[in-house]
Amino acid sequence: MRTSVIPSGASLPTLYRSLAGDYPKFFKMDTACRLGFLLAEMLAKEDTDRFTPRTDRAILFFSHEGSQLTDRNYAETIKDFPSPAIFVYTIPNTVTGEIAIRNKWAGETGAYVLPEFDGVRILELIREAFQDGETSSVMAAWSDCRSDEEWTAKAWLIERNEIEQIKELSL
Amino acid sequence: MENLIDELKLKVIDALNLEGMTPEDISDDAPLFGDDGLGLDSIDVLELIVLLEKNYGIKITNPKEGKAVFRSIVVMADYVKEHRTK
Repeated sequence: MRTSVIPSGASLPTLYRSLAGDYPKFFKMDTACRLGFLLAEMLAKEDTDRFTPRTDRAILFFSHEGSQLTDRNYAETIKDFPSPAIFVYTIPNTVTGEIAIRNKWAGETGAYVLPEFDGVRILELIREAFQDGETSSVMAAWSDCRSDEEWTAKAWLIERNEIEQIKELSL
Repeated sequence: MENLIDELKLKVIDALNLEGMTPEDISDDAPLFGDDGLGLDSIDVLELIVLLEKNYGIKITNPKEGKAVFRSIVVMADYVKEHRTK
C-alpha cells in the first residue's frame, strides 16, 4: 500500500511545480481539486506504466466538507457576475474526474460525504470496489478542504492482493 | 504593446482565478486553449468575453469570434489595441 499526505497549509502551487509542472490546468482547479490532483501525482509517480490508459483502477474520495468551500466562493460571484469557471467545481466529485483525465484512469469513481473520518467505513467501500471483477487497485483519499489554507489530505493506493490484510485506515 | 501583454496576463490570471500562476507561466504566443497551452476551455471563453467588455469596452457577441480572439495573449493584445473603446 502506498500513501501520500499533504500537510495543511502547504503551498500547493509550489508542490505542483516540484511534482508535475506540465499541466497548466492545475491552476484552474479549486483547492479541493488541487489537493486530489497532487495526492494522485505522489502516488502515481511510482507507476511503471504511468499515463497508459487503464480501466482497472478506481478512484474513491471521501470528505466531510464536500465542495462547500467552492460553493461559497461561487455564491460570492453571483453578486457581480456568476463565474462559470468557479461553478464547474461546485460538486464534490469533480476531483475524481480531474484525476481520471490526468492519469487516464477510466475505472470506477466515487465521491462520498461522511459525517466524519471513519477508517472502517472507508475500508468497507474500498473493499466493495474490488467486487466488480475488473478493479485491481483503488486510489482512495480522505481530502477534507475546510478553507484555502486548512485541510486534511491523505491518500492510499491499495492493490487487490493487499486489501484483506488491511483492517482499518487511519489519518 | 509589451505593457498591454503584461496587463492582459494579469487580468486573465485574475478573471479565471488562476491562483498561484504568474505572468511568466504564460508564453506570449502559446495557445490559451487545449492541452498544449494554458488548458482553457469553452467555459473560460465566457469569462474572457466579460474581461474585455469590463476593462476595454469591447463587446463580443459571437462566442466563435471569441475563440479566435483568445488564441494567444499576443493575438488578444492585437485585438484589444485595435478595438478598445476605453
